[in-house]
Amino acid sequence: MGKTQVEATQPTSTQTSKLKTGAQAVMQSLVEQGVSTIFGYPGGAIMPTYDALFDYRDQLKHILVRHEQGAGHAAQGYARMLNKAGVCLVTSGPGATNLITPIADAMLDSTPMVCIVGQVRANLLGTDAFQECDVIGMSMPITKWNYQIVDPNEIPEIIAKAFYIAETGRPGPVLIEITRSAQAETMSIPFEYKKCESIISYKPRLEPKEEHVEAAAKLINGAKRPYILAGHGVLIAQAENELKEFVEKTGIPVATTLLGMSAMDADHPLFVGWPGMHGNYGANVLTNSCDVLIAIGMRFDDRITGDLSTYAKQAKVVHIEVDPSEIDKNVKADAPVVGDAKAALKALLPLVKKADHSEWRAEFQKYDDEEYEKITKKDLYHEGNQIKMGEAVALLSDKTKGEAVVVTDVGQHQMITNRYYRFKKHNSIVTSGGAGTMGFALPASFGAKVAVPDREVVAVIGDGGFQMTLQELGTIAQSGLAVKIIILNNNFLGMVRQWQSMFFDNRYSFVELQNPDFITIAKGFGIDGHTVSDRNNLGESLDTLLNSNKPYLLEIICEKEENVFPMVPAGACVTKVMLE
Amino acid sequence: MLTTYTISVFTTNTIGLLNRITIIFTRRRLNIECLTVSETERKGVSRFTIVIRNENREIVEKLVRQIRKITDVLAVFGYLDDEIVFNEIALFKIATPLGSPSLDVKTINLDWNAKVVHWGLDYVVVEKNGSEEEINEFYAYLKQWEILEYIKSGRVAVGKTEKGLVEYLPEGNWEIV
Repeated sequence: MGKTQVEATQPTSTQTSKLKTGAQAVMQSLVEQGVSTIFGYPGGAIMPTYDALFDYRDQLKHILVRHEQGAGHAAQGYARMLNKAGVCLVTSGPGATNLITPIADAMLDSTPMVCIVGQVRANLLGTDAFQECDVIGMSMPITKWNYQIVDPNEIPEIIAKAFYIAETGRPGPVLIEITRSAQAETMSIPFEYKKCESIISYKPRLEPKEEHVEAAAKLINGAKRPYILAGHGVLIAQAENELKEFVEKTGIPVATTLLGMSAMDADHPLFVGWPGMHGNYGANVLTNSCDVLIAIGMRFDDRITGDLSTYAKQAKVVHIEVDPSEIDKNVKADAPVVGDAKAALKALLPLVKKADHSEWRAEFQKYDDEEYEKITKKDLYHEGNQIKMGEAVALLSDKTKGEAVVVTDVGQHQMITNRYYRFKKHNSIVTSGGAGTMGFALPASFGAKVAVPDREVVAVIGDGGFQMTLQELGTIAQSGLAVKIIILNNNFLGMVRQWQSMFFDNRYSFVELQNPDFITIAKGFGIDGHTVSDRNNLGESLDTLLNSNKPYLLEIICEKEENVFPMVPAGACVTKVMLE
Repeated sequence: MLTTYTISVFTTNTIGLLNRITIIFTRRRLNIECLTVSETERKGVSRFTIVIRNENREIVEKLVRQIRKITDVLAVFGYLDDEIVFNEIALFKIATPLGSPSLDVKTINLDWNAKVVHWGLDYVVVEKNGSEEEINEFYAYLKQWEILEYIKSGRVAVGKTEKGLVEYLPEGNWEIV
């Protein structure tokens, strides 16, 4: 906060009197909901609320981003760390449309968010007024719920409802639009805030039905080659310990999805990696050899299943999922269990038998060995001078002991990071999975650091994605928070280049970048950094990055035309894994 | 084979909900054959009756689950035709200038179970209730006159069970209108 600004004043008389303006009601509601941090950007139609915020600035930490998209992704990073809604505050029109991408991202990745956006005065609605946009209409398909407030009296109830909807069941983004007039007008009733505890039309089932749990247990107990896919739902439900207990009792090998990474200790003997397009060899191929597939808090995304008509057809499927609309959506469940992952695993635990599937587990090992020979070894212990992305991430993993919060952007580096970072601590991955939003990582890593300032937060970003939201370096610099930023720079939009090389006859259509001097840019924002291109200096460079107690940017110049393997081509059968 | 499904959606009475429901169809490229929205006998509860035709029951089941997921939706049911009592209403505006064949009101009343509801100077308006098929047959019959306008409502339907609406709704104080 600038020194020229006056110090926070004592609450004004309007703030303490019973009748509040809509704007004050917004602030008081957020405080009473327990919100401590807001990511936002002011503008015309939200100004009354920003004016009220000035009086609340001791209770609500507002972080001024550089672009509303940054506010959205930062709120996502924050929400993913704390499992509670990240809050955004932006103006109408372009302010709100700039939030659309993060909202869509949060919807696909089940991230709780409450977005409060301004709107023109009620009497101007529908007149194409300045900065008027149908944000309710636009955000409808990408929000769990949205609502337009024109009456200030509604504010406390709607805000309470928003948090309840965003945070419960399968979490997701909620948008509240408040007209400028509703912010400015005084409520005609005394302010009263009650946290929402139930909504008649919205009853998420957390506790699974007993008969469903029993049916699932029966399948699991009868299985000879059971296989678990654990997803984001495990992290959201904070069911990591239950998962561990469950697999240790049943001896079932477990893979985690991209968003479910860090649900299992990467060194756990029953952990077999991750399935999907760039997932592990065995984790993919053996999907089509298991006899019971146990999906926990995941939604069988096409990047995991590939060709559905050949996916796990031999297996009976147990599907534990909090969102009933996911059951049978992509893969038919023989034993559906609708409920929260934690509650379901707790209920299952006493019903499943102790078992040892070490022979079956060993089959994964065979594939792991082949993958190691053909891919991992070449990535990590090659002869060349140039740095490979994999070795950079593997070294980062060693140096942080697998305990950092890792935030990735989208593309080759994302796949490589999930491949080589050995997660040892729960809830440590923040990545854009469903939407695949380039530009996600920089603001999301900042949001994560705001949420967990005591943890090491490392953003791993490609040179392409970095340039989509690099203005948030300003936000990071202003906060002073020690976000560690790594750019894996290959001067290409690497994943698209890889596809063009593999599936489009090497026709590199607009994928090469003339990049700026990233270090000069960082320094322009007041963030220190340096570039490393020599393999021999990689360790030292990572030490400098990690030892910094301020934000720091490390640019790693990587081999230009490296391809990521294994790879299951889009829409192919999961057994058709390409290793080179 | 195309099957007709009637989807009954019970919702709280909220602005914008129609949009939230229809985009679920749009996104999956499913065509809504007809749609009727009305208040129910319970205060604050609206009822959407949506008819779609599809070859694949699974698609319809998934659709129902997606609609159920909407926060303001209280309950959703997908019905086949034999599980419901349903009806539609059609209005026909027919030209009757001097010299045109005279309208056989008796046949219209007795054989077609329809009625003339408005006599204009050179036209009449005929109302017909029934299934879509019955209305289509009646349309064919009326073609001997000049049809100035034809309009048909969406389907309204109630399930063939003894239960009342309240039994399908979540527990709550559902006041009768």
